[in-house]
Amino acid sequence: MSKSLRVKTSKFIDETTRVSFKFNGSNYYGYKGDTLASALIANGIHLVGRSFKYHRPRGIMTAGSEEPNAIVQLNNNSARSEPNVRATEVEIYDGLEASSQNCWPSVNFDIGGINNFLSPLLPAGFYYKTFMWPASFWEKYEYFIRKSAGLGKSPTESDPDIYDHKYIHCDVLVIGGGISGIIAAKTAAKNGLDTLLIDEKPNLGGSTIFQNSDHHKINNQTSSSWLEKEISEIESLENLQVKTRTSAAAFHGYNFVLARENLTDHLSLEDRKNKVRQRLLKIRAKKVITATGSLERPMIFNNNDRPGILLSSAVKKYVDFYGVACGTSNVLFTNNDSAYETALSLFKKGIQIKAIIDIRENATSKIIDEIESHGIKIYKSYTIVDTEGYKKINKISIMQLSKDGQSVVGSKINLDCDCLGVSGGWTPAVHLFTQSGGKLKFREEDHVFVPNTYPSKQISIGSCNGEFELDEILKLVPLQIKNFLDVEKTDYENLSVEVSKNLSKRNIWLLPSDKVIGKTKPFVDFQNDATAKDIKLALREGFRSIEHVKRYTTTGMGTDQGKLGNMHALGIIAETAGVKMGELGTTTFRPPYTPLSFGTIVGRNVGEYFDIFRRTPMHDWHVKNNAEFENVGQWKRAWYYPINGENMHQAVQRESKAARESAGILDASTLGKIDIQGTDASEFLNRVYTNAWSKLEIGKCRYGLMLHEDGMVYDDGVTTRLDENHYIMTTTTGGAANVMGKLEDYLQTEWPELDVYLTSVTDHYATISVCGPNSKKIVSKVIPDLDFSDESFPHMSFKNSKIGNIKCRVMRISFTGEHSYEINIQASFGKSVWEKCMEAGKEFNITPYGTETMHLLRAEKGFIIVGQDTDATMTPIDLQMDWIVSKKKYDFIGKRSLYRSDTIREDRKQLVGLLTDDPQIVLEEGAQIVEDVNKKPIEMLGHVTSSYYSPNLNKSIALGVVRGGKNMMGKKLFIPMENKIISVTVADPVFLDKENKRLHA
Amino acid sequence: MLNYNQTLKETKTYSGIEMSEIKPIMKLILRGKKREFLSAVGKSLNILLPTEANTSTTSQDLTALWLSPDEWMVFSNEINLMDSNIYPIEEKLIQNISKLNLGAVVDVTDHFVMINIKGPKIYDLFQTGSPFNFNQFKNKKGSVTQTILAKIDVIIHNKDNENVNLLVRRSFSEHLFSWMNDSASRL
Amino acid sequence: MFVINCPYCGEREQSEFKAGGEAHIVRPKQPTELSDDEWAEYLFMRKNIKGIQYERWNHAHGCRKWFNMVRDTSNDEIKAVYKMGEKPPTI
Repeated sequence: MSKSLRVKTSKFIDETTRVSFKFNGSNYYGYKGDTLASALIANGIHLVGRSFKYHRPRGIMTAGSEEPNAIVQLNNNSARSEPNVRATEVEIYDGLEASSQNCWPSVNFDIGGINNFLSPLLPAGFYYKTFMWPASFWEKYEYFIRKSAGLGKSPTESDPDIYDHKYIHCDVLVIGGGISGIIAAKTAAKNGLDTLLIDEKPNLGGSTIFQNSDHHKINNQTSSSWLEKEISEIESLENLQVKTRTSAAAFHGYNFVLARENLTDHLSLEDRKNKVRQRLLKIRAKKVITATGSLERPMIFNNNDRPGILLSSAVKKYVDFYGVACGTSNVLFTNNDSAYETALSLFKKGIQIKAIIDIRENATSKIIDEIESHGIKIYKSYTIVDTEGYKKINKISIMQLSKDGQSVVGSKINLDCDCLGVSGGWTPAVHLFTQSGGKLKFREEDHVFVPNTYPSKQISIGSCNGEFELDEILKLVPLQIKNFLDVEKTDYENLSVEVSKNLSKRNIWLLPSDKVIGKTKPFVDFQNDATAKDIKLALREGFRSIEHVKRYTTTGMGTDQGKLGNMHALGIIAETAGVKMGELGTTTFRPPYTPLSFGTIVGRNVGEYFDIFRRTPMHDWHVKNNAEFENVGQWKRAWYYPINGENMHQAVQRESKAARESAGILDASTLGKIDIQGTDASEFLNRVYTNAWSKLEIGKCRYGLMLHEDGMVYDDGVTTRLDENHYIMTTTTGGAANVMGKLEDYLQTEWPELDVYLTSVTDHYATISVCGPNSKKIVSKVIPDLDFSDESFPHMSFKNSKIGNIKCRVMRISFTGEHSYEINIQASFGKSVWEKCMEAGKEFNITPYGTETMHLLRAEKGFIIVGQDTDATMTPIDLQMDWIVSKKKYDFIGKRSLYRSDTIREDRKQLVGLLTDDPQIVLEEGAQIVEDVNKKPIEMLGHVTSSYYSPNLNKSIALGVVRGGKNMMGKKLFIPMENKIISVTVADPVFLDKENKRLHA
Repeated sequence: MLNYNQTLKETKTYSGIEMSEIKPIMKLILRGKKREFLSAVGKSLNILLPTEANTSTTSQDLTALWLSPDEWMVFSNEINLMDSNIYPIEEKLIQNISKLNLGAVVDVTDHFVMINIKGPKIYDLFQTGSPFNFNQFKNKKGSVTQTILAKIDVIIHNKDNENVNLLVRRSFSEHLFSWMNDSASRL
Repeated sequence: MFVINCPYCGEREQSEFKAGGEAHIVRPKQPTELSDDEWAEYLFMRKNIKGIQYERWNHAHGCRKWFNMVRDTSNDEIKAVYKMGEKPPTI
C-alpha cells in the first residue's frame, strides 16, 4: 500500500485490522471498513476495467452504488463467482478475489482496445447497421459479436449460498439513512409508529456523517458530530428497526417495496458458513418516506472518462471517510460550490490542489473565499477541453469559455495532475419514486427533475426531493414529516443552521472544446460508451422520442441504468432538438435499482422447495415398494412398480395383465372429493353436469361430465348420492381445485338462492381401488361385515361400512372396465387398509399398479382422460359421448353453446380409436394424423392423444382426435414420422369388452 | 384392527421454536346461514360460533374458528381415541343441523393436520413465507387467519401467547413441515 | 401487488386473491331463448377499459368468498369493494 495515499486515520476505518485480498491475481491489503475501491485507490490502482464497446481503460469514478466503470468479477472460477459487482460497494474481507471484466488478455493490455482506434467506424447503431446485411449472415456475425461483447462471466456451477425471503409490515418505511432519513425515522418512531429504516451502506449518516467542516454547522456543532449524536440515540427507540447493507431494489404500487438485505458478503468465507447470504425483504408499509439523497453529476467534456477522473464528492468521501487520497496532485472541475468542499477536505489533509476550474464567471461565497485565502488557484469561466494519460490521467488542457458558454476563446493552458475531481451539480435520486408510479416535474432554475405527484401514501424528502443544502433540509424536512405523518411535533424545528455555500450553478450540458465535436470523445454513458456525439447522430438520423434515442445509442442501458449521465443525455437531446426538458420527459427507471442476484430473487424456492409436493396417505408404502413417481398437478403419484429390474414398459405390461386376469390395486386418493349438502343439492348437480341427477337413488353412483359455459369439456368424475340432500362428487386429480372454485363461483354469484354447501374433503380420505375378477373376494376379507353380493351391492352403488370402529365408504365403480371396488377411509388408516388388501389379495396375486397402467386399462375401454384426450376445444359430442348430454334438461352449464354454429359443425375434430396396420407399432402421443401424405402443404387432420401396447389384446391401441373422424370408421389414415409413415385404421374407441361383461364378472 | 398412521412423526425443536403434530383431533366444518343454524349449534355444543371475522371461541371441550360468514371449523381441545372415528358430537350435529336442513356438517378430521408451534420465533418463521400481516394477530389471543405459507393454504389460530395452531391440508403437511423446519433452522 | 380490502376478512395481500374478470355480467336466465349472437355477447364479450372498471375478485386463499371491486386500471387505485348482490357504487 502506498503510504502517501493513506492520508490520515479515519474513524470509519479500523487500521488495526489488516485485510488481505487479491486483485487480478496480485496480493494487496487494506483495512477493515475499506471497500474494494478505497483499498485499490490506497494501493495506487485506478485502472480497474475496460469499457464495453471501445475497451478504453476505465477507473473508479464514484464511491457508491451509482458506479458505472469499476465493475468487477468476484471469486472467478468458483461456484461463488459473481459478475458485474461494483467495487465501490464491495466491503473487503480476507480472501476476497476480484478481477477486471471485459478485457483480454489483461486489463493493462487489452486486445479489444483496438476498438478505441476504430471508434470513428463504430458510431451509434453500428451493429444494427452493419451486421444485418445480408440478413442470412447474422448467425455468423453473432458468434463474434457475443465473444467481444458482454461484461462479466456468469457462474457455471450452482450457487452454494443460502438465500431467504421475509415479509415485513410496518407503519412507516424510511429508505435512506442520511440526515433526512434519520430525522424522519426518529420522528416516526418517537410518535409511536412502527418504523423501519433501511440504508444500502454499512453505516448510517449518508454524506453528512463525514461532513466535519466549519462551513456546515447545526446548533454550533459540525453537522457530522450533531448527526452522530442523533444516530447514537436510535438504539433506545423500541419502535425503530434499522437495517443497514439493505438496498431498496423496487418500489411497487400500494407501498410494496422489495429490498435486498446483505448479511454475509462483508464476512470472510469462513465466517459465512451456514448463514443466509442475502434476504429479500418484501416490505408493505402504510407510509413510505424516500430519502435516497442525490447523485453528483459528472461534466461532459472531451476525454472525460480516463482513470483518475472521479466525481468530486467521491474524492471527498475517499479522503474524509476512508482516509485515502485519490491523487497527489489534484485538480477540481466544477460548475457549483460543491467542489470547494472537496478542496477544503483535501487542503486540511495536506494534499496538493493544483487548481480549481470553475465554469462560472463570478461565483462568490464564504467557502470560495476561504479556498482563495489558502492560495489555491481558481480558473473562473474556464473549461477543460481535453485530458491526457492512457491508463491514468496525467494532464488536462483548459481554455476560457465564451460569454454564452458555447465555445472556447484564448489560448490553451496545460496543467499536470494525477486526479481530477468533477462536479456538475446534483441529481435527485428519484429512481424509486418513479418506479412507484410517481410523476416528476422539471425545475427550470437548477435543471433538475423533482417529485411532483405521488401515487400512494409516500413523500420524498431531502436531496432526493431537490433540497440539496443543509439549511434547506433542516428547515423543510421536519415540517414535511410532521405533516405527512400527522404528528404533533418533531425535535427538529428550532435548530440553528449555518451554511456558507452559494447555490449558484452554471449549467452547460455539453462543454465546448477547441476541436470539432466529431474529433472529441465526450462520454455521457460511461458503462455503455455512449458519447454526446452518438446522441447528436441519433437526432440527425431522425430519432425524436427519448426512449428511441436511448435504445439506439444504448445510453442508460447498462447495469447502472445510466445513473450518472442520463440527465446530460436528456439535456443534449433537448438542446439539439430545441425542446424544453420538462416536455421531453425522462426515460423509465426500472427495478431493480441495483442488480439483484438470482439467488436473492429465488430465496429458498430451490431444490425440494422449488415446487409443492403433495403426498397420499399411502405414499410411504409406494416408496418402500420401489414405485417410480409421476407428477400430477402438485401430487406425486405412483407411476409403476418395477420389480426385478423391469423397465417401464415391462412393468406396465405385467401390471395391466394382472389387473385383468386376477386383481390389481390402485391408490386413487388424489382424485378431488367435494362434499355437497343442502336441500337444492340435486338441482345444483342438474345445473353443473350435462346429465340428469334428480332421479338418482340414494346409495347409487353416476358418472358426470362438466362443461365450461362455452360447451367444452371441463372435468369428469363419479358422484354418489349419500342421502336425500347429500352427495359426494369426485373430480380429476388436476382439476380438483378449479372445479371447486368454479362451483363456488356459480353458487355465490349466479345461483345464491340455492341451498347448497360445498366442502372439499379430498385429503380426509384415502381412496383404495381394488379391481379385477378376484376383487370381490379380496374386499370381502378386508370388510367381512359388508354384504358384497351383486344383488345387494351392484355396479354403480355405494355402502357405508366400518372396519372395527372406523367408518368407511365403499363404492362399486370402475375406471378399468373390471369388476371393481373403491374403499374410502379416513386418511390416517389408509396405509393400514391398503396393507390389509395386499395381505388379503396375496393368494390372488394382487398387483399394485400405477397411473400408467391405469391409463392403459381405461384406454382399452375407450374411457377418456380429461386433459389428455381433451383440450379446451372438445365438446361431449366431439368425444362421441352424446349419450351423456340430457335432451330433457332445460339448462345446464354449457348447454346453449352445444348448438352454436361452430359447435354443430360436422368437420370438428372428433375422438376416434386408431389401430395400426402393424399391431406391433405403438404410435407416439402427439403425432400428427393426415389423410394424404403427398399433398403439399400437408393437411393435418388431428393428432394422437393416447397410445399404448395392450397386453390383453396383444396389439397396439390408440385414441386420437381427427377432423370429421366420426364418419371415418374403417378409413385408412397416415401418421408421418421422422423416418417412416405409419398407416392406421380408424376404429371404435372401445377396444375391449364392448358389452361390459367384465364389470359384472 | 387398523393401525393409525400419522404424517408428522417427530417433535422438532429449534432455537426459539418447537413444533409437532397434535393428533387425533376431531375436526368438523359447519356451514349455515340462518339464525336457527347458529342457535342449534349453540344448543348442541354449548359453544357460540364466532360471528366476528378472524376470531374464535372456546369452550372446555371445543374450539370454533371463524372461516367465512357461513363457515366454521370446530375442533376438539383434547386428543381423541385412535381406534374410533365415531364422534358423538358429530352425530348430534347431524341430527340437529343436517337432518333439519339448517346447514351442513362435514367431518374433516384428516383433511387437515394440526401443527402446534410454540416459542418466541413463531412469527419470524411465518414471515419467511407468508404475506399476512401478523402485527396485530400476534397480540390478540384467539385470532384466526386463513392465508398462505410457503405457497400453501393454511389456517392459523393464535391459541395463546407464543403458542399457535396451524392447520394445513394433509397432503401438503409433510412438504410444509419440512419447509418450516428448514426455515426454523435459519432464524 | 395490491392490498385488497376483502369485505369479509379485511385488508389482505393480493396474492391471497384471484381475479374473476368483469363484474355485473348476469348469466341469462333462459339461454335457450337466445340467438347465437346474443349468447356470444354474454359468453365472450368483455370490456377492457383504461379507467374505472368494475370487476369480480375471489378471496381464494382466505374466506373463499366472491365480491366486486371498482378499480381504476390506469393507476390500479381500488375505489371500492362491495359484496355480491350489493348495488355497485357510482364512482
